[in-house]
Amino acid sequence: MSIRRQTTRAAELESLPRFRETIDAACQLQPGIDEQTRYDLKLAVDEACTNIITHGYAGMNPGSIILALDVDALRVVMTITDFGHAFEPAEAPMPDVQAALDDRPMGGFGLFFIYQTMDEARYETTEDGNCLTLVRRLHPAKEE
Amino acid sequence: MMEITAKLLGQTTVVSIAGSVDALTAGQVTRFLSSRVGEGQTHIVADLSQVDFISSAGLRAILIALKESRQQGGDLRLAAAQPRVENILKMAGVTSILQVYLTQDEAVASFGS
Repeated sequence: MSIRRQTTRAAELESLPRFRETIDAACQLQPGIDEQTRYDLKLAVDEACTNIITHGYAGMNPGSIILALDVDALRVVMTITDFGHAFEPAEAPMPDVQAALDDRPMGGFGLFFIYQTMDEARYETTEDGNCLTLVRRLHPAKEE
Repeated sequence: MMEITAKLLGQTTVVSIAGSVDALTAGQVTRFLSSRVGEGQTHIVADLSQVDFISSAGLRAILIALKESRQQGGDLRLAAAQPRVENILKMAGVTSILQVYLTQDEAVASFGS
């Protein structure tokens, strides 16, 4: 059985709780998704959407963000589409999580959390918008 | 949704946060904690027992308050974080730069008040 949910919201911070609710609703329909996985899914989407809202649409009229979820017994695939400025994830610096407080930047954890919690993160920009695809496997294969 | 309240226990300010601390609500947390520090309440325990979600924006709010309290000779300590919130703190390496306690009472006692 596969579950698909899609929601389109304005690119504003008030939409963040709504995206998390959509993830909760989809996860409730799929048995076996534990609380930690559900949290990780919400965190990754929250971070991605926050970046879009605060940077992607900077200097533009706020547009929309489309979140689509495809959930089955093996994995959750989340695609986040926006129509703002393109973003190059590979160019974003990763925070030093070992740094002392005085040497530590106050931000920059968003992308780090996405990479830490998701099994795959792919970003592409086309004439149809920017699309971030996040994949979380529900039963990860054992390491060989 | 997020609620934040404070109470004074001796010289220690216990700030209880409830709900989600995301980019929508983190600014409110930062302003609340900054105003406490500005009033000289620099020994702060942030009780996270009712926080069910925190993102990097919430983490940033905690780090800003930590820095401000230490600059004024105080400290900010965390108490009673739920396991998934604690995971976030660990992932970001925050637990190595501030003190985390299992209960509010332990965190308050750590200030000696």
